[in-house]
Amino acid sequence: MISELFGWLFARLPFGDGLRGLVSPRTVRSLKRGLNRNALAKVGIVVVVIVLLVAVFAPLVAPDKPGTQNLEEARLPPLGFTKATVQEVPVQENGSVVFEDGEILTENRTVYENATIAHPLGTDGNGRDILSRLIYGARVSLLVGFLGTALAMFVGVSVGLVAGYYRGKVDDVLMRSADVMLAFPSIVLAIALIGVLGDSLEQSIPDPFVQSGLSEAVRSAIGLPTGMPETTTLPGTIIVVVALVNWVWFARVARGEALSLREQSYVKAARALGASDAKILARHVLPNAITPILVLGTIQIAAIILLESALSFLGFSSANVSWGFDIALGRQYQSTAWWIAAMPGLAIVITVVGLNLVGDWLRDALDPGIEGEGGV
Amino acid sequence: MSRESPGERDVTPNAGRDSTRERDASPRAHRDTGHERDRLRVENLTTRFFTEEGQVNAVESVSFDVREDEILGIVGESGSGKSVTALSAIDLIESPGRVTDGEVWLREPDLAEEFRERTPDAVDGDFVDLRRLPKGVRRSLRGPKFSMIFQDPMSSFNPSLTVGEQIAEAVEVQRRASANPRSTRSRTQGYGLGKLIVDTLVPGREYTSDASRERAIELLEQVGIPDPVERADEYPHQFSGGMLQRAMVAQALAGEPDVLFADEPTTALDVTIQAQILDLLRDIQRDRGMSVVLITHDLGVIARMCDRVGVMYAGEVVERGSLADVFEQPTHPYTQGLLGSIPDVEDPAPRLQPIEGNVPNLVDSEMPDRCYFADRCPKAMEACLERPAERPVDGDPDHTARCVLADGEYDPATALPDDYFEEDPEATDAPAEGGAADD
Amino acid sequence: MSFARFLTKRLLQGAFVVWGVVTIVFGLRVIAPGDPANVLLPPDVDPEVRRQVVADLGLDEPLHVQYWEFISGIPVGDLGTSLTTGTEVTARVARSIPATLELAVAATVVAVIIAIPLGVVSATNRHEAPDYGATLFSLAGISTPNFWLGVMLIIILSVQLNWFPTSQRAIGLPAVLTFLFSGELEAAGAGFVTWLWYITLPAITLGTYFTALITRLTRSGMLDELGKTYVRASRAKGLPESLVRYRHVLRNTLIPIITVVGLQLGTLIGGAVITEFVFDWPGLGQVLINSINSRDWPMVQGSLIVISVGFVVVNIVVDTLYSYVNPRVGFDG
Repeated sequence: MISELFGWLFARLPFGDGLRGLVSPRTVRSLKRGLNRNALAKVGIVVVVIVLLVAVFAPLVAPDKPGTQNLEEARLPPLGFTKATVQEVPVQENGSVVFEDGEILTENRTVYENATIAHPLGTDGNGRDILSRLIYGARVSLLVGFLGTALAMFVGVSVGLVAGYYRGKVDDVLMRSADVMLAFPSIVLAIALIGVLGDSLEQSIPDPFVQSGLSEAVRSAIGLPTGMPETTTLPGTIIVVVALVNWVWFARVARGEALSLREQSYVKAARALGASDAKILARHVLPNAITPILVLGTIQIAAIILLESALSFLGFSSANVSWGFDIALGRQYQSTAWWIAAMPGLAIVITVVGLNLVGDWLRDALDPGIEGEGGV
Repeated sequence: MSRESPGERDVTPNAGRDSTRERDASPRAHRDTGHERDRLRVENLTTRFFTEEGQVNAVESVSFDVREDEILGIVGESGSGKSVTALSAIDLIESPGRVTDGEVWLREPDLAEEFRERTPDAVDGDFVDLRRLPKGVRRSLRGPKFSMIFQDPMSSFNPSLTVGEQIAEAVEVQRRASANPRSTRSRTQGYGLGKLIVDTLVPGREYTSDASRERAIELLEQVGIPDPVERADEYPHQFSGGMLQRAMVAQALAGEPDVLFADEPTTALDVTIQAQILDLLRDIQRDRGMSVVLITHDLGVIARMCDRVGVMYAGEVVERGSLADVFEQPTHPYTQGLLGSIPDVEDPAPRLQPIEGNVPNLVDSEMPDRCYFADRCPKAMEACLERPAERPVDGDPDHTARCVLADGEYDPATALPDDYFEEDPEATDAPAEGGAADD
Repeated sequence: MSFARFLTKRLLQGAFVVWGVVTIVFGLRVIAPGDPANVLLPPDVDPEVRRQVVADLGLDEPLHVQYWEFISGIPVGDLGTSLTTGTEVTARVARSIPATLELAVAATVVAVIIAIPLGVVSATNRHEAPDYGATLFSLAGISTPNFWLGVMLIIILSVQLNWFPTSQRAIGLPAVLTFLFSGELEAAGAGFVTWLWYITLPAITLGTYFTALITRLTRSGMLDELGKTYVRASRAKGLPESLVRYRHVLRNTLIPIITVVGLQLGTLIGGAVITEFVFDWPGLGQVLINSINSRDWPMVQGSLIVISVGFVVVNIVVDTLYSYVNPRVGFDG
């Protein structure tokens, strides 16, 4: 099944023919063997697929609108928990308040609030449904994770292939600048770049499910609140910044592959036959370098999701629904409602664990021998 | 890197003495005393590997004995189980492998006395069964009783410690153990993270003592390494392959072992160096009266070095006996084929006939319930469809073969047709010469 | 290669990277939108005053002159003046270094002390309960964002259980040392306990990712080493298992880990920025985040340069150490 999926995918990509080299029967066999040997890898795949589906179909599966404020229902606990707060309430006798020395007599009373099925993970400080916010937050995290990785991969692989293929001065210049980039801790460089770029690249993209009316129809049919947001934020600045921060890892891997591949006899033969450099890179070098690049890509998606959540936690993202941002909001209620900060963090951990498990599986099965982990 | 000097052999004590023994030299006469001169008796040793692909029967009910002051050769193709047999005998099999059956009797009167009351099963006369002894005791025998040298000297030394230090360490372990002989703790001495840190950071607090380091230099000198004092402080990557193999011999000698297992000791070396290492091994064996178990795929090495020989095929010893018996009167068709596959100077053309087919891969589920060699055997008969037992050749208990021909005649009437085993799709025409490197 | 040549080469490489860092940091300010003068001035200010302020900041000079001024100040420790507070950037940054350094060192120490034994236990008890525990821990550790971990530690250990303070740094190690050297042992002891009490949660927060990573590396490195022939040879020559494990296998495992730890120090310093934000820890990360938010560019530049140069220096030290402990590499790197 996996091989069919890969085959289907690569038939539709540019360089599809070359990329099919990746799914040689041997590769598929070692991937399958890795999967059989490693039950955790299956868990990882399931987690990643679920998070992906939830993010894509957010308007269909979210129990509530992510932005609806309802102060009456603020800070409701998650299912299974009861929140006890001590409140000062007026003492009542026969239905009227009691005065003493001209003041309303009050007493301290413990008020219990119970979880409701409508908000299974509770509500935040403004009474917004936490589960719905997590589901919409998954969109932001995964958009940044996948698009940021794709952009970083594109930049890094281009630079790395050129550097490794031409060697000499080009290589020196590109790799020395990579060294300089690596001298900045990624989060520090990201913060500085955001300081430069501001929120100039923010975009809103329409949500096809809402625009087409599909989600509204489905939701009203099963009795869920309607009026889901019509657009999703595309945090362009963050995507560009994480790509600018992380391209170096791809460049190093691609360069290493290009350095060894350029000495292969079939590459030399192609050169002798007069193929252009661009064609050699695209047809002969890239397809054979793709395995370690894709394995690194999986690990980098996890690293970039962590980076994005840190940046939104620090307040450098303009996305108003985001796991990191929600943790920052939850900090205000750290003494009264722990779940507001806890839930988005669990969402991050589960997603990143899933991605790391998939990455481990690919790395063990394909053994590309790469370094370059990242975390926050 | 190479500092090998052309004249290094002369440094070796006794070098050149009787270094070109004739191939048909008769074994030294300990056949009469027989088992009384046994140092080690391995009986029905069976080792399995439990892998994802299934159970692999690497060693199948192997028996052999090692006598005092002799070189026993074990010969076979790659994957025939020679190395695993040696590792099983000295308890060095690692997961997923396990020795599942058999006995390893070592002549060790002191231990026999100590365990005679406690575990009578483990004692037979002066012999103790290693597999029935406690793990700590078993481990304590490695070094002073057994040692082993391996095929590739470069990977058999720790690359980040000096050669001298690694040999000194082997000396030091035995020194500490003999200083406190009653305590098995003294040799399983706790060496943990803390001691490692102290060892590394505090000068003068290393694990090895000055005396051990001096002894290491002596050992290096004995195996013919020039400038042993300087070379002791060098790292393995600064040695040539031949020099490092000498150093490995020195390391194996550190505990003064009675039995030395040498697993393809010359395979990784240049041809010119191979002879020097073999000479060294034999000289050392004679000087010390050691027993050596020499594992190789090279019949030339066997002929040149060994007193007795065991031939392995598919995890079994298919034939064993004195060098003369096995080489001059090979009984098992596999032995005959193996000998036929090396060119013979005196009698060239007629015997040169490679054995057709492949060595079985030893996966349990694919092992047939018949003689493992039958499918490649030119003399396969109906009797070969049952598993043959090891039996004496013509009633001689010191020459045995796992073959019906040992005490029977080839009967063409019951011969199996040529295409009898052809359901095996993997069968190819690759000739089986014991040529490829083991493992 | 001799040690001197190795060090010279490595220092020259480092100097080049530092120059690159300084140039990028200068470039960031140049391409950043908005006029630094706006930070100082109200929007409706008299154009003449505005022109004067721009001239005072040197922003009316041609770019190459500005670049030269900027870069020539660095060797003498002049990183400019804060736009918002008017303090010397160098002084402000220097004041924050000890807090960040304490945090980073404490986290590394915690990580190494926990991770290496954990990795050893995991590798030597493969496929048993301790191995599964350590593997799960390290998987969770490398997948947990440290700021969230910090928030949760505060919620559980500070707010609910009241075991640790929620934030800030009550006393710095330099102050403790001052007490110690002036002979006020009691004050030094009390100061140290307070210091420890305040730094525990931030150090755990920052150190967890590192702990998990080193555990993972120790485990897989040790399993790799245990499969090598020299291990078998060591057992064959009679070494007890503890010597094989520690003197041979662990030592060889730790050598490559040194480089990975060096490479990951960037992550550690980056993590320190966020940890400082969570715990209101007065270090370089606080300076950076505050100055970015207030668009105080000289301060941003100063903290960026100090963080990156610190990273470069640490990497040179780690490389040198690696070549020192690994006889196979020598000083050829």
